[in-house]
Amino acid sequence: MTQTEPHLSVVVPLYNEAASVTPLVEAITAAVEGFTSWELILVDDGSSDDTVALAQAHAAKDGRVRVIRLARNYGQTPAMQAGFDHAQGKVVVSMDGDLQNDPRDIPLLVAKLEEGYDLVAGYRKNRQDKLVTRKIPSWFANRLIQRITRVEIRDNGCSLKAYRRDLLRRVNLYSDMHRFIPAVAAATAGARIAEVPVRHHARQYGTSKYGLSRILKVLGDLLTIKMIRSFRERPLAMMAAGALVAMVFAVASGVAAVVAAQGFTPEKANAVVFPGAAMLWLGLVGYLLMLGLLAEVALWEHRKGEGEQLPLVHEEQI
Amino acid sequence: MELIKVLRPEAGEQEVTVDVSVIVPITERPEDLVELYHEYSPPLIESKRTFEFVFAAEPWCGPLVEPLRELAAQGQPIRVLQVGQTMGEAALLRLAAAHCHAPVIVTLPAYRRVQASALGDLIQSLADGEDDVVTARRWPRRDSWLNRLQGRAFHLVLGGLTSTRLHDVACGVRAMRREVLLNLPLYGDFFRFLPLLAAREGYSVTELPVPQHERDKSTRVYGPGVYLRRVIDLLGLFFLLRFTEKPLRFFGLIGSILATVGGGVLAVLLYQRLNGQGIADRPLLLLGVLLVVLGIQAVALGLVGEIIVHLHASGRRSYQLHRD
Repeated sequence: MTQTEPHLSVVVPLYNEAASVTPLVEAITAAVEGFTSWELILVDDGSSDDTVALAQAHAAKDGRVRVIRLARNYGQTPAMQAGFDHAQGKVVVSMDGDLQNDPRDIPLLVAKLEEGYDLVAGYRKNRQDKLVTRKIPSWFANRLIQRITRVEIRDNGCSLKAYRRDLLRRVNLYSDMHRFIPAVAAATAGARIAEVPVRHHARQYGTSKYGLSRILKVLGDLLTIKMIRSFRERPLAMMAAGALVAMVFAVASGVAAVVAAQGFTPEKANAVVFPGAAMLWLGLVGYLLMLGLLAEVALWEHRKGEGEQLPLVHEEQI
Repeated sequence: MELIKVLRPEAGEQEVTVDVSVIVPITERPEDLVELYHEYSPPLIESKRTFEFVFAAEPWCGPLVEPLRELAAQGQPIRVLQVGQTMGEAALLRLAAAHCHAPVIVTLPAYRRVQASALGDLIQSLADGEDDVVTARRWPRRDSWLNRLQGRAFHLVLGGLTSTRLHDVACGVRAMRREVLLNLPLYGDFFRFLPLLAAREGYSVTELPVPQHERDKSTRVYGPGVYLRRVIDLLGLFFLLRFTEKPLRFFGLIGSILATVGGGVLAVLLYQRLNGQGIADRPLLLLGVLLVVLGIQAVALGLVGEIIVHLHASGRRSYQLHRD
């Protein structure tokens, strides 16, 4: 309350983590002692247990601890966005509320950030999770994310990250995008990204809120990000590429139709299949081109109106 | 009548704030509005709250609202908002909300669905509880089995699509904090689902059983077009509640199922072709191509949807803070 603009904001989304709150707050408080000014933002994502009461008790004791309550359970991405929106520090650190991240790593991340990066992601060395349901899918997901987004991050699932506030103001999280902050930040805000190894502990309290079901969601989100990356500048070109492939099929079907017509006899009068297939592929060509034009309209309107934020630039090394 | 803080339409309504604004959008089958006012205002007078009735009228209601203007001139707390175009109920509600300044808003259809005492109960429930919206449930039902059957069927589908536990979404009698009505993007026919939309935005919604009105007991059978519209409304609602931020999950699922089936069909044909069977006269080839094409179209549509969502992401927030 007293200081106007703290240097460091730590954002922790909490959902039914009553058992973790007190050890978490104590560990973070101890870890950030070295900073001149800091704040801890606990975001309650509509918990139904004592999480809020405990968090508010800590806030009452220490003015640097703030509690943001969401109206209902929205999920991790909106909760994180809420924390970012309320963070006042020049440097913002996000982490999970389940004590699997170690707050003692915060100074390391911040130090790395101050070497001149916009985003520093932690990657979990010696990850303490179940092999089959967590580590193996995560390994595949990270490889895939790397390939598709071309952002060299080894561990996208690790929430422990540090950001410049200027970067966060340019990144808007929705849906389940919190996993892809580095990719989105790189694609839309031109962020400079670094990685540091962080500690990882096995879950002590509560239960994990993830399951295997999210694999499909991650794949969908990945496609979206890929799209946003290449699509937000020239959607028509991308749709036209798809249309070109469809055109190849259309021509192939057309050729097949002509060939089939050569040996046309009244017995084969029902051989309209290839011309039909050619028409269908042609229809797809037209459809994709039209959609591309529609997307251009949406982009044009967006660029014309306010609301577009330019990427981060650095005229000199910080 | 001394209890009421009297509002005259011409007496600078902006300055005078009341406790409760009752909004009556006048759309389909309005009843005698003066009678309606006289029936529903006594419980508000008894509740010792200051109130106003705001009638939102489309151009064709001119003669209907004339007597209301006379009542207002006599000092009754009535305002008539007349718009110049036919706009539909959702637009009327939003417009009226923007012109009301009471912290609590009650929406009341221009026909009688619940007994007058319900208004007082709804307002009291809103004031007592922690909720942002209190919606009336006509219970116990005393109307014909046909009405009840229709309602049941509708809510069965609604519950399956949205996992809501409300029983009478269609009853337009609701009390809510003004903010709720201002913040909800109501348009088209979605005002019917106001409680569900409010819950999605993070407002807490509860249901209060209130006695049904005598007039509401008549059997209602609509034309087929009305039922068709309800089905389309449900589809639209389902999509909006679940996928507004992630259209690709919806279109992508449909598209990948179609494309997978189509791809399977084409693979079978390719296998047969390689084994020497002719496929040029097999309509199955057309089916396979058709399914693949439709699948790609659905996914592409979803991608364009994602672009639109992405472009509007700045400034829009998908969360709402808790009210404390």
